[in-house]
Parts: sequence; C-alpha cells; structure tokens
Amino acid sequence: MSTRMTSAHSHHGHSKAQCIKVLRRLSAYLDDELSVSICKEIRKHMGACPNCEVFVTSLRQTISLCRCADVPSLSPAAKARLRREILRAIRSH
Amino acid sequence: MKNRRRSRQPSARSVPAEGDGAVVFDRLYRDHVDRIYRFAQRLCGQVEDAQDLVQDTFLNAYRGLEGFRGDAQVSTWLYRIAARACLRLRRKRKGEPARELSLDEFIPTSEGEFRLQLPTDGLSPEEALENKELKRALHQAIQKLPNKYRVVLVLRDMEGLTAKEVGTIMGLNERAVKSRLHRARLFVRRELSARGIGEPSRPSKAIQQG
Repeated sequence: MSTRMTSAHSHHGHSKAQCIKVLRRLSAYLDDELSVSICKEIRKHMGACPNCEVFVTSLRQTISLCRCADVPSLSPAAKARLRREILRAIRSH
Repeated sequence: MKNRRRSRQPSARSVPAEGDGAVVFDRLYRDHVDRIYRFAQRLCGQVEDAQDLVQDTFLNAYRGLEGFRGDAQVSTWLYRIAARACLRLRRKRKGEPARELSLDEFIPTSEGEFRLQLPTDGLSPEEALENKELKRALHQAIQKLPNKYRVVLVLRDMEGLTAKEVGTIMGLNERAVKSRLHRARLFVRRELSARGIGEPSRPSKAIQQG
C-alpha cells in the first residue's frame, strides 16, 4: 500500500507527508477557515502536485453536490395525515 | 447577566410553552414540519422512515415544550430532537457498533483515486444532479456513512447550518464538528470516486450496464 502511494507521488518531487498534511486541512481550506499564510502554502503545494490539485477539485465537487441535492417535499395529504397521527398520540397519553 | 437572559428569552422563543395544547402544537407543526421532514429524509433516506422520524420529533417536542427555555432557536431545538431520535432508531434497527472513520483510510493509493469518475465536468451541481444515477450514488454514499458522521454532514452541508449550530445540536465543540465533517466529506468523495457513472445524456444505458 505504501509502495503504491509512494509511486503515485514520487514523480512530483515531494514527499507523501506533504500531501497528507494538505489532505488533513482540505475542508478547512475549502470552508475558508485557514490563515492567509496556510492557504498560500496549500496553493503552492497544489501547484506542484497535480494529484492534490485534482483531489481538492473532487472534494469541492462532492461538497457542491451535497449542497445542491434536494429531496421531495411532504405532500399536503401526508402532512395532514401525520398531524392527525401525532395529535392522536398526544391525546392518548 | 441575569437581566440579559431575561430580556433575550421572549424574542428568541417563538413557541409559547403554555396555553391550549392543540394550538401550540399546530403552530409548531405548521412552521417547522417542512424543514424537519426534509432533514429526516436526508438522514433516513426512506420516505416511511422519514415520516416516522417526523412523528417522533413532534411528539417528543410537544412533550418537552415546558422544558424548552428559549435559549436556542426553535429550529435548532427541533433538529436536536430529530437527530437524537434518528440515532436511536438506527441503532435499534441495525444494532451496528459506532464506527470511527480514520483520515488514513481516505488517502488515495493510486492515481485513479484522486479524481471523481463522474459526469460533472462543465456542469453546475444542479445540472449534474439531473443524472439520476449520480443522484442515487450520492444518496447511497450519504446513507453508507456511519450515523454520527452522517448527521454532521447533513446538518452542515445539506441543511446549511454553521459549525457552531451543528455543535449545539450534537453536543460537540466546533473542532469535533469540523473533524467529523471532514471525514464525512472524504468518505462521500471516495464512494463517488469508486463508481463509474454514465454521461447524463445516456443514463438508461449506464444503468443497464451497471
């Protein structure tokens, strides 16, 4: 496993540890919670590491998909039925 | 301090804790059922389970109205009741042990794992989600998350709450919320990247092949 990881990074001329350090901070980076200097450091790393650049894009896409995924709303009939059932349960206690 | 609390309470509380029970319930239900149902659907993934959760939430809320002090927003209070009920329900049904997600398990081990193999290029998230297969994959990835991570992801990234609000609901500090959120996002990313999903223009073909 570590051999595969090393080979995935070796040609970019930096250590796996640098990638892991970036990976640990990616949510904070995307949520704009890091200091200017750390953001600069991360951007610098991504400029030199295509894999991490692709990774951050994929995480950004994942978050965007989560934010935009809607769910069907409750129909008026189901809303009324649930209300009746809850009131029945309240009154039976 | 005492005076400040006193003056804050009436404006923060929008549900009277006394008066006719049905009127109080109706107001609570009318104002919040859509939000709680949406949250329940995202948490449970199934319509029937979501409706059960809505019932549990409003029943528990009604019973706990007298104890609601107005020091939180009503919606935050309801989210907390719903999240607890959901965690209880799922534990009971699945009997699953609480699984911890380690950051190490999300470190890609080969080049192909860095990118999402998804038809999202050049599309807005809304357009990408018109692909039913992608929508289903996202839904399944979220449902696959261990409970305590799923609740945080749903509250933060789907319901749009702040980390502080999520912390209030879950009884966690912001640091713990952010840690769980990061792992949850990485989990969903990995689940999506592990799937090959067809182009939006050929969804039926892609499903048949899958």
